[in-house]
Amino acid sequence: MRNPRTTTRHRSRAAIGLLAAGALIFAACGSDDDDAADEAPAEEAPAEDDAPAETDAPADDEAAAGDSFEVFALLPQGNDQPYGTTYLPPFEAKAAELGLNLNIVNSGYDGEQQASDCEVAVAAQPDLIILWPAVGDQVRPCLEAANDAGIPVTVTNSDLIPEDQELSEAYSGPDTYGQGVSSAEMFCEFAGGDDVGILMVNGAPGNSTAIDREAGFEDTINEQCPNVEILQRETGNWNKDDSQLAASEMITAVGAENIGGVYAADDTMVAGVIDALKARDIDPAELIITSIGNTFLGNPLVLSGEVDGTVFQSSSWDGENAAVTAHEVLTGDTSERIVKFMPSVKVTEENADDPSVAPEW
Amino acid sequence: MTQTATLDLGNGESDLIGRIKTTFARRTEGRAVVLLIIVSIWALIWESTVFTAYEVTLGRLALIGLTAVGLTAVILMGELDLSIASILAVSGVVMASFDNVFLGIAVSLTIGLVIGAVNAFFVVVVGINSFIATLGMLFFLRGMAFVISDEEPVVMANKDFALDFGKPLIGEFTPRVLIFVLAFIAMHVFLTRVRVGREFYAVGGNREAARDAGIPVRRRVFTGFMISGFVAAAAGIIVTLQLTAADPTAGGNALLTSFAAAIVGGILLNGGRGSVLGTLLGAASLAILQVGMTFNGVESDVQNIIIGLVLFFAVITDPNSIRAVLGSARTFFRGRSAPDPAD
Repeated sequence: MRNPRTTTRHRSRAAIGLLAAGALIFAACGSDDDDAADEAPAEEAPAEDDAPAETDAPADDEAAAGDSFEVFALLPQGNDQPYGTTYLPPFEAKAAELGLNLNIVNSGYDGEQQASDCEVAVAAQPDLIILWPAVGDQVRPCLEAANDAGIPVTVTNSDLIPEDQELSEAYSGPDTYGQGVSSAEMFCEFAGGDDVGILMVNGAPGNSTAIDREAGFEDTINEQCPNVEILQRETGNWNKDDSQLAASEMITAVGAENIGGVYAADDTMVAGVIDALKARDIDPAELIITSIGNTFLGNPLVLSGEVDGTVFQSSSWDGENAAVTAHEVLTGDTSERIVKFMPSVKVTEENADDPSVAPEW
Repeated sequence: MTQTATLDLGNGESDLIGRIKTTFARRTEGRAVVLLIIVSIWALIWESTVFTAYEVTLGRLALIGLTAVGLTAVILMGELDLSIASILAVSGVVMASFDNVFLGIAVSLTIGLVIGAVNAFFVVVVGINSFIATLGMLFFLRGMAFVISDEEPVVMANKDFALDFGKPLIGEFTPRVLIFVLAFIAMHVFLTRVRVGREFYAVGGNREAARDAGIPVRRRVFTGFMISGFVAAAAGIIVTLQLTAADPTAGGNALLTSFAAAIVGGILLNGGRGSVLGTLLGAASLAILQVGMTFNGVESDVQNIIIGLVLFFAVITDPNSIRAVLGSARTFFRGRSAPDPAD
C-alpha cells in the first residue's frame, strides 16, 4: 500500500519543481527583454523530468484500491501549532495502517478558507471527509454540500453545534465542555468554602473549543462553588505572549490583593499567566490556578506546585481516533452517530509524574 | 522614387512595430498573463479537475478577487488600505446582527462607505501615511467586531436565506461568483471609461501634476477609499451569507491574498500603473494554483512557500525594479572603472 505521507511529499516536491521552472519563465518575462522569452522552453525541461513521480500515483492507488480509501482531512491547524504537530504523526500513521489515503488541508482557523477547501474536497469526490471545524457555526454549508454529494463526514477534535450533528456520521475528540467542567471541579475542591476572586484567560474568540471550555468552567463554578467569583476575563488567543499581556493588564485593573486564583483555558496560556504573576512579585504557588492540557509546558508547572491542576488532553489519542473513527464509518454500519470522547483525566501534583499522563505536546 | 517608397515602407513598418511596442510597454498585465498560462498548463497536465470542477475554481477566484478589485482603486493612487480585513469582519458581524437581512446589508454597506471616508480623511486631511492610518483602523475595527459579536460567531437569524445564497443561481454560478463578475466589470468600466476613474491614474502617477491639471486630488482619494471600503463590506456580507454566520476573526487571509493578486497582476504599489484586468489575472492565477495544489494533495505549508515565491518573483520582475537595479549596477561599475581624478 502506498504511504499517503510519502505520496504527499512526492507531490509537494514535484509541484515545487514544476512551479520553480515556471517561476524562471515568469522572471524572464518581467525583464521586458525579448530574448528572455526564448529561454523559457529550455527551463521547462527539468520539471518535466519530475512529472513521472506524480503520474505514477494513480497506478499505485489503483493497485491498492481494494483496501484503501481516499480521505480529505479539513483541519484548522497542522505543523504551525504545538497541538497539530503532535496530532498529525499518529493521525497519518494510523491512517496509513488502515488504508486511508489522506489529503490534509490546513485552513489556519480561517472559516472562509475552510469553506473554500471544503468545496474543493467535495469536488474531488473522496470516500470520506474528516472535518475539524475552524469556526463551528460556519460549517453547515460544507456539511450540506458533502451530504448532497453522498460523501460521509466525520468530525475530529471539536464537535459540531447540536443542530448540525445530524449531518455528520461521527465525532471523536475531547469533550471540550467537559474539560472546562473538570478544571472547575478541581478549582472548587482547592477553594473549599473560601471566597476567591479569580481571573479568567480564555482561548481565541469565536473558537468553539474556547467557548465550550469557558462555558463548562463558568457553569460549574456557578453551580458547585458560587463562592468563587470571576473578577475579570480576557482572551489569551491560545498563546503565551498574549496571555501574559492579558494577565498583566488584569492584575493591574483588578489589584493584586484581590486575586485569589486564575483559570486559563490551556497550559500554553497558563504559562504566560505564571510569568505575569512572577513579574509582579506574586508567588503563583499561593494562588489557586487550574488549566487544561497537561502539556510539556503545563505538566512541570503542576509538579512544581505553581499550577494546582490541569486536565490531560492527548493529541495522539485525538489523531489516532480521527483515523480509526473514519475507518469505522467507511467499513461499518453507521445508522447511528458514533461519539468517542477522550477521557478527561484530572492531573494534580499527586499524579502528574504518572506515566499514564505523560505530556505529549 | 523607388528609394523614397522603400523608405516610406520602412518607416511604416517601424511605426507599426513602434506602436505595438508602445502598446505593450503601457500594459502591465504581462507577468500576470505569463503566470496564468504557466499555472493553467500545470493544472491541465496534473490536475485537470481544476477546470472540470470550474465552479470550485471560480468560487476561489471570487473569494480572492472581490476584495482585490476594491483594493485596486486605492493602490492605483499610490495608497494602501490594510483595514479591508477588519471591514470584512465588522460588516459581516453587523449584517448578521439584524433579523432583517436586507436592512442588515444596507447598514453594512453604509458602514463600509463611512469607514472608507474616515480612512481617506486621515490620509488626505490629517496627512497620515495611508499604511499607518489604515493599520490603526484595522486594529480598531477588529476590536469593534469582537465587541459587537461578544467575541463569538454571530449566526444569522434567517439561516435558510443564507443557505440558499450559497447555492447556484445561474447554471453552476453562485451569487457570489456573479457579484464578483459584476464588480469586476463595473470597476473596469469605471477605471477605463469614466473620467473620475481615469483620473485615479493621474493622482497615483504624479499627485502634484494632477493637482496642477485641475484634478480634485482629495476628492479622488476619498472616492478610492470609499470604493475599497464598500467592496470590502460587500465581501464581508457575501462571506457571512455563504457561511450562515459571521466570524469576528474573518478577513486575515483576504487581506494578504488581495494584495498578492494586485501585485501579481502588475499594479505598481507606488500608484499610477496597473489595471483591474491585471488584478483579475493575478487572482485567477492564485486561485488556480491554490485549488490545483489542494486537489493535488500538496501540503498547506508547501502551498504557502509556492505562493510566497510567486509573489517574490512578481515583485522582483517588475520592470521598474529591474531598471533600478541595472541603473545602480551601471553606476557602481562606472564608478569603479573611472580613472582616479588624482592621477
